[in-house]
Amino acid sequence: MTIAAPPPAVMQRSHGAGLIAVKSVTNRTRLDRLHQSGNAKIRIPETRTECLEAVLINTAGGITGGDTLNWTVECGMNTATVVTTQACERIYKSLGENGRQTTAITVDEGASLFWLPQETILFQGGRLQRTLEVSLADDARFLGLEAVLLGREAMGETLDDAFLHDRWRIRRAGNLLHADDLRLDLRSNNTLHDPSILAANRAFATLVWVGPEEDGEVRALRLGRVRALLAGSAGASAVGPKLLIRMAAPSGYALRRQLMPVLEHLLDGRGLPKVWRT
Amino acid sequence: MSSTTDLLRLMSWLSPVFPTGGYAYSGGLEQMVHGGAIHDAQSLKGRIAALLKDGPPWNDAVLFAAAFRSSADGETIEELSELARAMAGSLERHREALDQGAAFLAAAANWFEAGALPASPTPLCVAVGAACGLQSMPAEEALAAFLHAWVSNQLQAAIRLSVVGQSGAARLLSELEPAIAETAARAKASTPGDLGSCTILADIAAMNHETLEPRLFLS
Repeated sequence: MTIAAPPPAVMQRSHGAGLIAVKSVTNRTRLDRLHQSGNAKIRIPETRTECLEAVLINTAGGITGGDTLNWTVECGMNTATVVTTQACERIYKSLGENGRQTTAITVDEGASLFWLPQETILFQGGRLQRTLEVSLADDARFLGLEAVLLGREAMGETLDDAFLHDRWRIRRAGNLLHADDLRLDLRSNNTLHDPSILAANRAFATLVWVGPEEDGEVRALRLGRVRALLAGSAGASAVGPKLLIRMAAPSGYALRRQLMPVLEHLLDGRGLPKVWRT
Repeated sequence: MSSTTDLLRLMSWLSPVFPTGGYAYSGGLEQMVHGGAIHDAQSLKGRIAALLKDGPPWNDAVLFAAAFRSSADGETIEELSELARAMAGSLERHREALDQGAAFLAAAANWFEAGALPASPTPLCVAVGAACGLQSMPAEEALAAFLHAWVSNQLQAAIRLSVVGQSGAARLLSELEPAIAETAARAKASTPGDLGSCTILADIAAMNHETLEPRLFLS
């Protein structure tokens, strides 16, 4: 009797690149250019506001070792754009190589960009190297979110082999305004439970808001309002023209509950994208 | 220059007597003690070890090493300063790094010709790294001394916050020696590509210290 050999493990690498450029036409933000290749797709749902909403889609359904995913967002003068993702980005087991994701954003004079991707879920064995490069004009506005869930909480999965390096660099008029390197390497040792790292939390998020130069009183007021909306393990601080917010929560559900009021407040009446409301 | 001279300089620059004002900062420790996360010698040791390995002190050590190597290159030092300022995760941490950097550079000027040291605003890690590099000190020893000064400062703050006593702090100094040495060795071989931290709850505590009342420390 012969037993059919299992098919050889062919690791299909997925690659995707998407670009969206927007411009202002009679006070409404309209699509200027759109390019999509590989497994990167961009949808523009109809909205009734002057703000354009773009939904990024990775048709590969996740990122594993050797995959690449590159997004480019170009916001023309006086535009307002909210960018989100159709689904959580799932980082699946890799055979050793990192998956790579890059995002390059430019925001011109008078424009606003709200970069609100859904959560990244890091599974056992997942490895992701990600960069976000943001270039802002002097009076541009930017809100950026990074939210991470560790493992399948419903299955009580405990990660002991995963890697995430998320590098953010935000420049304004060429000057480096914000730099953050989140590096979580669960192979070298697993100290997630440490009360300085995550304690019992398995979800966390960072928000960065940058606005034009304004007087200290306006900044203090904004910081106070955001602090009043914080719940659970969370903190906010204003350093020069940027406002930083960090949160940690026991689950993805709890993290969303902590995030939503703050996102709604910082969107300043623009309304959360539909994917965030369901 | 003799190794004794190097040792003396490191001891002077990183001594609690050197007027950088380190005693005024707790780097968020006061908030974590207030919140109950740090309550005894064991939890204190865990925090210090976690921050050395995966927190802002690790990033400071990476930037120190880069500044040490490029100490004679003013343009690179300015880029590293900008990077270190941009990495400060809260207002108090930003002030802690810049105020101590300015105070360090003013006092260290006694050892240098005018204009040799970087100009302010240079965060402490870049300022000390550049000064040690300009004097061609041994890099790993200089890094170890810099990290040791941070650990000592944390222990000093913990004593004032009644987390440990003098003898408990001495035991932790002994127990944390390998962590300091490992971090110094790792940092010496690092490049800015090795920046990275994940001490999320400590970062949150550092932010929340801004609204803590009453308080003993500036951070």
